[in-house]
Amino acid sequence: MLNHAQTPTPLDGHSAALAFDMDRVIDHISHWLPTQGPIKDFIHHNTLHAVQHLPFHEGVALAGKMFGARSYLPMENYQRMYRQGRITDHAVDWALNRTELPVQQQAQIRQTMLEPDHSSHYPPVSLANHGIRNVWLNRIELELNALVHPILFRLLGNFLDQGISRWTLPKEGECFWDCVMRLAQNSLLPLYPLQEPIVRELLTKNKEDVILICLEKIVGDPCLYEQYLLEMILAHPGWAGMVRIVEENPRSLLDPRNISLKELIAVELVCELAFLIKQKGAAFVNVNNTPLPKDTTLLKEGLPKPVIPLSLKVWHEAMEWSLHSELLAALKPKQKSPAKGPTKPYVQAFFCIDDRECSLRRYLEELDPGIETFGAAGFFGIDFLYQGLDDAYPVAQCPVIIKPKHLIRESGSQANPDGDAKADSITHLHFQSHSVLRGWLYTQTLGIGYAARMAWDVFRPGSKIPKLKMLSEVDSHTHLHLLRENDTPTEDGYLLGFSFSEMADRVGGLLTNIGLTKHFAPLVVIVAHGSSSVNNPHFAAYDCGACSGKPGAPNARAFAWMANHDEVRRILYDRGIEIPVETRFIAAMHNTSRDEINYFDNHLLDQHPAKGLSTFQKIMSKALQFNARERCRWFELGPKSSLVDLAHDHVTTRASSIFEPRPELNHSNNLYCIIARRKLTRDLFMDRRAFLHSYDPDKDPSGNIMVRILSAVIPVCGGINLEYLFSRIDNSVYGAGTKLPHNVIGLLGVANGVEGDLRTGLPSQMIEVHEPARLLIVAEQSCAILDKALANIGDLKEWLDNDWVRLVSCHPASGEQFLYTADGWQAVELPASFNTPTASQSEDIILGQTETIPVHQLIRSTS
Amino acid sequence: MNGLLLASLLIPLLGFVLVFVAPNNEKKIATISFWCSHALGAAIVALISLWAINGFPSQEFEWFTLYATDDYLFPILLYFDRISAVYLGCVWAIFSIIVKYCRIYLHREAGYKRFFLTIFSFVFGLNIVILSGSIDILFAGWEIVGMSSFLLIAFYRHRPQPIRNALRAYCIYRFCDIGLLLGSWMSHLLFHESQHFSQLANLFDHNSFPPAGYGSLLLLSSLIIIGASGKSAQFPFCFWLPRAMEGPTPSSAIFYGALSVHLGVFLLLRTDPIWSYHYLTRFIVFMIGFLTVVIASLSEKTQSSIKGQIAYASITQVGFMFIELSFGLETLVLIHFLGNAFLRCYQLLVSPSIVAHLLRVEGSADTDFYINSSDNKFSFLPASIRNTVPEVLQNTLYVFSLQEGNLEILVRTLIWEPLKRTGFVINKTGLWIKALYTLIVILLILVAIQGIGTDMSYFAIPISIGMVFASLSAFGQINKPISVWNAITLSSFLAGMAVLFINPQAKPDVALFLSGITPAWLIGIAVLFKLLKHQDSSESLFAYHAMAETRPKLSLLLFLSFLCLVGFPISPAFLGEDLLLSHASSHDPWFALPITIAFIINGVAGARVFQRLCMGRPTELCNEEDAIITNEIKPSFNNASKKVIEETS
Repeated sequence: MLNHAQTPTPLDGHSAALAFDMDRVIDHISHWLPTQGPIKDFIHHNTLHAVQHLPFHEGVALAGKMFGARSYLPMENYQRMYRQGRITDHAVDWALNRTELPVQQQAQIRQTMLEPDHSSHYPPVSLANHGIRNVWLNRIELELNALVHPILFRLLGNFLDQGISRWTLPKEGECFWDCVMRLAQNSLLPLYPLQEPIVRELLTKNKEDVILICLEKIVGDPCLYEQYLLEMILAHPGWAGMVRIVEENPRSLLDPRNISLKELIAVELVCELAFLIKQKGAAFVNVNNTPLPKDTTLLKEGLPKPVIPLSLKVWHEAMEWSLHSELLAALKPKQKSPAKGPTKPYVQAFFCIDDRECSLRRYLEELDPGIETFGAAGFFGIDFLYQGLDDAYPVAQCPVIIKPKHLIRESGSQANPDGDAKADSITHLHFQSHSVLRGWLYTQTLGIGYAARMAWDVFRPGSKIPKLKMLSEVDSHTHLHLLRENDTPTEDGYLLGFSFSEMADRVGGLLTNIGLTKHFAPLVVIVAHGSSSVNNPHFAAYDCGACSGKPGAPNARAFAWMANHDEVRRILYDRGIEIPVETRFIAAMHNTSRDEINYFDNHLLDQHPAKGLSTFQKIMSKALQFNARERCRWFELGPKSSLVDLAHDHVTTRASSIFEPRPELNHSNNLYCIIARRKLTRDLFMDRRAFLHSYDPDKDPSGNIMVRILSAVIPVCGGINLEYLFSRIDNSVYGAGTKLPHNVIGLLGVANGVEGDLRTGLPSQMIEVHEPARLLIVAEQSCAILDKALANIGDLKEWLDNDWVRLVSCHPASGEQFLYTADGWQAVELPASFNTPTASQSEDIILGQTETIPVHQLIRSTS
Repeated sequence: MNGLLLASLLIPLLGFVLVFVAPNNEKKIATISFWCSHALGAAIVALISLWAINGFPSQEFEWFTLYATDDYLFPILLYFDRISAVYLGCVWAIFSIIVKYCRIYLHREAGYKRFFLTIFSFVFGLNIVILSGSIDILFAGWEIVGMSSFLLIAFYRHRPQPIRNALRAYCIYRFCDIGLLLGSWMSHLLFHESQHFSQLANLFDHNSFPPAGYGSLLLLSSLIIIGASGKSAQFPFCFWLPRAMEGPTPSSAIFYGALSVHLGVFLLLRTDPIWSYHYLTRFIVFMIGFLTVVIASLSEKTQSSIKGQIAYASITQVGFMFIELSFGLETLVLIHFLGNAFLRCYQLLVSPSIVAHLLRVEGSADTDFYINSSDNKFSFLPASIRNTVPEVLQNTLYVFSLQEGNLEILVRTLIWEPLKRTGFVINKTGLWIKALYTLIVILLILVAIQGIGTDMSYFAIPISIGMVFASLSAFGQINKPISVWNAITLSSFLAGMAVLFINPQAKPDVALFLSGITPAWLIGIAVLFKLLKHQDSSESLFAYHAMAETRPKLSLLLFLSFLCLVGFPISPAFLGEDLLLSHASSHDPWFALPITIAFIINGVAGARVFQRLCMGRPTELCNEEDAIITNEIKPSFNNASKKVIEETS
């Protein structure tokens, strides 16, 4: 997590002039860089972590001034929502009230809020786009970025490349600077532009000296060094951020590289100097001698003072509060419908906390009241590195905050079934290297065959060419090596497998977290989730966020195996969790894009039959069809009829079409996170907007369980929420822009075109229908116990104190609600006129709807 | 069959017009493009089958004569034979796949309409090229393809990099158009009325009587080869192709993977009789192909981006096609073209899959997974010498590959930089000095005419020099759009004047030419004045101004007047350009060179003005009119928000 002490603060002029502390400056400026790792593991995080120590609105405004990004949606979007009734007058009052301005000024704002506005959707004048460096470059009329970036990005791309280019650039353990120097000094061809005589001389020095000399020539005034460097790297935040991440965590790459931000800066400055001398002569005008427009921000005088556009801020808060209060109103205690009589469930199903599972759970329960569902973070408490049969390397299967110590390998329980499929030449994409002549031959012969393949893929996307195995289709005929056989760690320092007590720790931990320690049903299904998509470099962002962007299947399988094991159950029994002998745990994986489910380890069923599994499977496949139809309402080109088969066919085709940039809409519109008993939310229609974590308030008097849950929920769900929010608000700065021109660079990330900067954040196809509102966490626990818990969540408290996520306590007994603020709990008062709309089944709510739907109360007719 | 030919030619145009008039509604545009692609498919399939039934004849069709004077004919000629059939079939297959693909791929994209417009104009241009019956018609299609290429590369106009790369590709196209423009003029000169493709082969039938001297044939062949290698990204122009991959992936697939990149091959196939007549030109084609294969296959080794890699793989294959062409293996070239077009198109379409593919599928299946395979850099060398390559050679090879054979640097220093520098010098020279020089030259010539009795046509020499200077001056500056515009116009007027001096009978042609230029100039100036009225004078015009977004209508007008000004085939200036060339230079062949150079440079300079002004991402700065509104509101807000900041911080 972000360290408070290191947050960026400007140097004051004096000390800068005396000593330009390079390492400290590089450290400072690096905080403004995005922290998105290589694309193979997509970990959602707060895009604006750099300003997380500030209150939300100030942080956003400051970031806008730094990066040149918008801070809110365009005014007309809010006004439209207001006209549609999605923003209520109550919420506007509430938001105005929170500005704490005099009443008369509030009235003035309220008036301007409804006036048409044409300019707020343009990004502000910013450091990144209008700083001293850009003023200077425009003055000397040199497109330095256009000259330097292609060269720098090529060097970086080839240095960090993980397998696209045929020749590897770095030698074993070589650092970036040495590598560039090797090419520049020990090659018969000059490395352009480092062949300039003055620059060649420079190259004999070490990189620190080079940076200083270049800065002196280019900038001139030491007070401006930091700002110049910051503006320089903000011109390519993607690569600079990637370099910083690799520097701090070389293991984030499969093939580790030795690189640092300092080396990047040194190489970039040298290239800049070379071009400046070449184009403008040795006596070019430096930054210090360039007259600056009077409103230019100077970092030495402090960070830019952003102006928070009040009407937009009020609109935004009002929108959020409108949406939040829809849930809060629905959670208010109601007149109990005639006692339902707790039917004893015959199946219990564990789902990931993920918002995409919210509707599936609702349908399951709607279809069969004998099914009880639970939500937990999708790694199901089992943290390990996993190396599947098909994986070239092990990957972490747990939230990014946990560093796993155990390695689990998968092995085939039968002969590799797909050996021959891979020999089939047409299934290959022919990306792999071959000699020039073979390439010529292949193109001549195979080329025309691709016409058929292409036509097939485009015109018949749903149907697969036989034998072609799609990604994420996990074979279920394998075996996980879970039990540790000896305690010697592997060469990388991991333990192979778990001991029984470690297993019991994990299984018991999860069961306690979700409050299921007795009343086990005869069948417990652990449903992990993953997503299959084709032609999608961001595939990792579609999988389970709690598994660091992997499908959660291995965790579910591990959990089921452990919980089924007699030895583990014996230890759990000693700890007060009694799992009946007849209870069986079954692992399954929900494919969220195709809405299909895969059950694992079926071969064990002969030995240990699971009661009720076939009934459950039937209900499940029905629920999946309903779920597919509910998702289809968002797809403009999807079927609009109420036929579930059509919808299901549509989502399946969608997930396997190479031309479909939206296999699914992922976490779009995520908004709520509810940590409570299912009882509280069971009858609510929440439009797939809620992360649901099961929690039993009665079993947590000390708040310790709440600490565990919050420390996973805040970074994971909060990270997802804020990444979607910022990617939506300014997709070209915080997001990755549209997917269509993306080009995969070195298996590290995507860029626009061949020589573009790496794009971080989410592509527009993932976020375009998202309503960018902050996450509301509702915890079913009293304020007192929550206070105890909050005292123990450490740095994460910053998220709450600065309003990056909202927290509401919902009292388990009385149902009273309190909103967390940095100054204490505020009672939530909603007008009595707030009525949650009702419906008898989900179908009635969703049909014909193409926008987000308020929370509905489901009144079940029977049961 | 002629009807079908016309249908194949015109359906894309019809599609373009329909999309253009259609409202910006995705569904309607999709329906139009669906039907048009199917109608085009039907026409092409019918055409090819009819052609097959008739026993594969080569057919020429003269639609009508666009322009005729006593010594000049501009007929609209179409020609269909085996080569056209293969290319047309490929266009149909790929175009219909791409249209289907983009229907969903571009769903909800802001430029949906713009994209389909450009794709249709591209296919229209392509079909003109493929079905053209003479170099003149081919050149018209060539220009349309080039312009739609420019627009598609710059599809994402918010970011400077696509804009720059679009301009780069456009410059290369434009430069290589010198080849084609001069080539078309020379073919007029050499073959007179018989420059029809259909008659080319016959011309060369009698081995003993070449239709023209070796020297001029060699020149003509070289010009055509320049044109072909620019379009097909062959040596020395390989570098633009990977950088052109800026538009949506399917547009890169259809342009740079499949169709556009093979147009050079098409041109060579078409003009095969001309250049294959001589061994030297065959050898040139072979060498271009060979050098391209060497450089591109080496460059491919260090491409760390997937599209760059595919681009170089494609260039390598086109290089092979050039080699095959030089050996006269026409059928093999056609098969190779089909294979390469489909393969690269498919690879580009599925290029986003590479991450998953390498990490999950190939990594596990192939034993030679190359992550962590430490030193396979020289695996292509025989094992015995692999470890004996000295490090300095390894580094050299790597740098060579990394810099893609230094071709960009080469082209930049040889062509771009000198032009730019000359432009700078001209612009720095004071107005008075320029006037003085002009006066001296005029006086000298007057004296010469009076004294020695030289021909008036010698006036054309200083005028054409002045024309090139005016073009260069336009090229040399970026931040004064209006003077660039004037310089371009001046250069065009001087061209007209020079032609008049050379050939006083050409008055109607010059008038035709200027009738295209003058309105374009006037409209352009008016638009520029309007656009720049609010501009802060202290702010440099060097930055991108994003006016296509803030002032869309004026920008469109500017774009149209730019097209007319540079003689795009929508304005009479295109025909005029051709006429001036053929008229003037049939008397004085030297004149062809300066006038072509001036036209080409004018095109680039005009494109740069449009690029700087209209593209880019808008910020608060750019929006002058709205700024007034915000200023009115701001005071009341500033106080309030300041208070908030103070309170909170």
